[in-house]
Amino acid sequence: MTDKFTIYLVDDDPGVLKGLSRLLRTRGYEVKVYSSPRLFLDEHDMTVPGCAVLDVSMPGLDGLEIQRVLSAAGGYHRPVVFVTGKGDIPTGVRAMKAGAIDFLTKPVNDKDLFEAVSRAEARDTESRRLHSEMELIEAKVSTLTPREREVLTHVVAGQLNKQIAGDLGTVEKTIKVHRSRMMEKLGIRSVADLVRMTEKLNLSK
Amino acid sequence: MLMLHAFNYTFPASTLIADGARKRLLERSPQPLEIDADFLDLARNTDAEYESRMAMFLRTKYEKRPPDLVITLGSVALPFIVRHRDDFAPNAPVVFTSVSPQNYGALRLPPNITGIISEFDLGKTLALAERLQPEASRLFVIAGSGEVDRRWQSTARKIIEDRKRKFEVTYLFEHSYANLVEEVSRIPRDSIVILLTVFADSKGNAFVPAQLAGPLSAASSAPVYAPYDTYIGKGIVGGFVETFESVGVRAADMALQILAGKDPATIAPETNPGQTYRVDHRALARWGLQESKLPPDTVVLFKEPTIWSEHRGVVVAAILIVALQSLIVGALLVQRRRRLRAENLLKESEERMTFAAAAANIGLWKFDRHRNELWATEHCRAMFGIARDAPLTRDAFLSAVHPDDLQTATRALRSLEAEQPAVSDVRIVLPGKEVRWVRMRARSRSEGGSQSNHIGGIFVDITEQKSAEAEVALQRQEVEHLMRVSVLGELSGSIAHEINQPLTAILSNAQAALHLLAQELPDIAEIRDALEEIVHEDNRAGEVIHRLRRLLKKGQRQAEYVNINDLVRSSVSLLNGELIVRDISLRLDLDHAPSLTCGDSVQLQQVLLNLVMNAMDAMASTPIAQRSILISTGGSQAGMVDVIVRDRGHGIRAKENGRLFEPFYTTKSHGLGLGLTLCSTIIHAHQGKLTLVNDERGGAIAKFSLPVQQPTFDIA
Repeated sequence: MTDKFTIYLVDDDPGVLKGLSRLLRTRGYEVKVYSSPRLFLDEHDMTVPGCAVLDVSMPGLDGLEIQRVLSAAGGYHRPVVFVTGKGDIPTGVRAMKAGAIDFLTKPVNDKDLFEAVSRAEARDTESRRLHSEMELIEAKVSTLTPREREVLTHVVAGQLNKQIAGDLGTVEKTIKVHRSRMMEKLGIRSVADLVRMTEKLNLSK
Repeated sequence: MLMLHAFNYTFPASTLIADGARKRLLERSPQPLEIDADFLDLARNTDAEYESRMAMFLRTKYEKRPPDLVITLGSVALPFIVRHRDDFAPNAPVVFTSVSPQNYGALRLPPNITGIISEFDLGKTLALAERLQPEASRLFVIAGSGEVDRRWQSTARKIIEDRKRKFEVTYLFEHSYANLVEEVSRIPRDSIVILLTVFADSKGNAFVPAQLAGPLSAASSAPVYAPYDTYIGKGIVGGFVETFESVGVRAADMALQILAGKDPATIAPETNPGQTYRVDHRALARWGLQESKLPPDTVVLFKEPTIWSEHRGVVVAAILIVALQSLIVGALLVQRRRRLRAENLLKESEERMTFAAAAANIGLWKFDRHRNELWATEHCRAMFGIARDAPLTRDAFLSAVHPDDLQTATRALRSLEAEQPAVSDVRIVLPGKEVRWVRMRARSRSEGGSQSNHIGGIFVDITEQKSAEAEVALQRQEVEHLMRVSVLGELSGSIAHEINQPLTAILSNAQAALHLLAQELPDIAEIRDALEEIVHEDNRAGEVIHRLRRLLKKGQRQAEYVNINDLVRSSVSLLNGELIVRDISLRLDLDHAPSLTCGDSVQLQQVLLNLVMNAMDAMASTPIAQRSILISTGGSQAGMVDVIVRDRGHGIRAKENGRLFEPFYTTKSHGLGLGLTLCSTIIHAHQGKLTLVNDERGGAIAKFSLPVQQPTFDIA
């Protein structure tokens, strides 16, 4: 259940809430409805895969603010699809810049909505996959000794063993041992893979 | 008593004297009198033998019963009785008449004889002629050949010669009668003719002189005067004469005194007791002589109003009656004149008033309730389109009244409380189908405290006023409408939101249903839910559009029962979007018991929307967290329901205070300055009150109060 892709629908209008949730459910989505942003944020579980479909203008806290709160939550980006009655360009631009999947104008066409939701799902899946991959890498990295981590950064920076030994004040042979042990721990064979991995880590930071 | 006449009975002079005396005697005598008369006829028979035979006759006649008193008539009777008294009336007192002073002087009378001396005054008769004919130069004097006539001849010559005024005198004495008549007819016109006596003419014919006066004066070609009363009335002008009646009366008085025992010797003879100027008016007229030239105290005889002398009492009475009648008639005339004047003034004033009324397009009317009669000025015809010849009746007026107003008009004429002026406006349909408004002002006048049957009043044509009012109302409606449009324009985002939400829900539900239907085993229950939801949402959208349409609709105000709480809710429902956009929270605090008022829900909604919009505008610079509006309903005073809008805005600034309701006063960059003016007008039209004050805790409080109206029927 927790693994199922869930759509978090937030709109202050109960009619709209019912209609959109019914439509989404026909596609087999798990839909959770919230009539106010506060209720949604209180109950929100970032670990559950899914996306948020938010009304832009709501009393109290509007959709863009929810998006900001969700982004601030940490490593994971909950995909957000906006629906709006007004559809003015500045709001749309702000939303898209903040990483929204789409900015849909009410009344929302099913095709547009499904398309946006499926994109959100893909994004969510991708970001979840990335996230778990990261977590794996980070777990591996956390097993490295401080010396091995130093060697790692120098290797990624493209330095030769000899240069690294010089920088760290040791001999080339010692560096070679650290290097092979680090590669083994991380399960990486080539320097190219190591660089790609560290880039991912940097991206997610 | 014996009346002894000198002549026969045809002599008017002695007859008149005898009549006068006889009447007086019978009137005044204390004892019955036997009056005998004898005529001596001495004019005809002058010989002494006749005289003695006559004396014998009388002696024989009165031997047994001699008279106690003798009255002689005619001058020659006195010498006779003096000579023969002892024959038939020994020692009887004698009262004589018609004796000239000369004869009286010539006779030596015994002591118990007295009487009336008559002087025939030729001088004064001549004086009368001179006065009447001052230019006359010739004088003709007529006298006959008898004894008396000859005496006159000498008297006349003497008097005329003594007169101051000198005439060319012709004495027509001793002529034959025929000759005399001829002579008289030749007398020139400007002469004076004096007729004395003609007892006999030159041929010895005897005459009664008075009888000659007629033919002689008729023949004469000049006025004739005479000293004898008996001639007057026969044609002569007149003269200074003795009236023989008065002579008779005086003689009778003397006789009565003697009979009463008075000694005749002590009674002196009297001369001319009743002499006067007497003239015949007809003769004056014949000769063209002027009455004004007559001496004073002249008696004018035979003047037309002789009736006067005969019927004096009747005439006086008649004159009095006529005078009285004239007076009454005069008074009536004066009164009539006054009345006419008053009537004229009244008429004039009425005309003026009618004219003024007509000029002001006012008709005056009066109605008698009991008799069902209507009076109205002509101008009313024009106002009511009643034909010239048609009668101005109550029905004629009522038939011109618009059928819808007929009841009002009838009521105005019928049931009017005393002294309570009533005003009713009715429509009149003119023959050309033109409709005009007429205001009936009615007032009943109570008479003597009791309810009056009369209602009076005016008709005023107020069509122009009505159309002006309609124009103003239309303009106000127009402005109200424009204001609503402008409010809705400001709210367009919010309204679009309100419609977009149900549309979104509808589309989603519809598409969901389609998807469900496309499935192999469609979930019918879910489809039904979706469809029901569509219906619900569609209704919701329809509701919004309905509200909008009502607000946008132009038209007249409609009075209906309005639930104040519903009014607040439906107004707020249009504002949701706007409130969200402006980050304003709105709270309602509605009275538990909903109050109804009577009015136009659209207008009231407009007021509320305006107030809330103002509240929202006022909070533009208020921190978001503090932006809130509270709308509450309730009643602070009996019979009224209040709607209060509180905001947390800047409140009413000091410089705005007192000007907020002024038209075109605005503090907003985009305002017209009509919002509050209009709100106030609308609330006033609903018998309510709109106030704006500052809240002590900040912000402003707008409040309007409306009278609570419960429907007469039971709404439960």
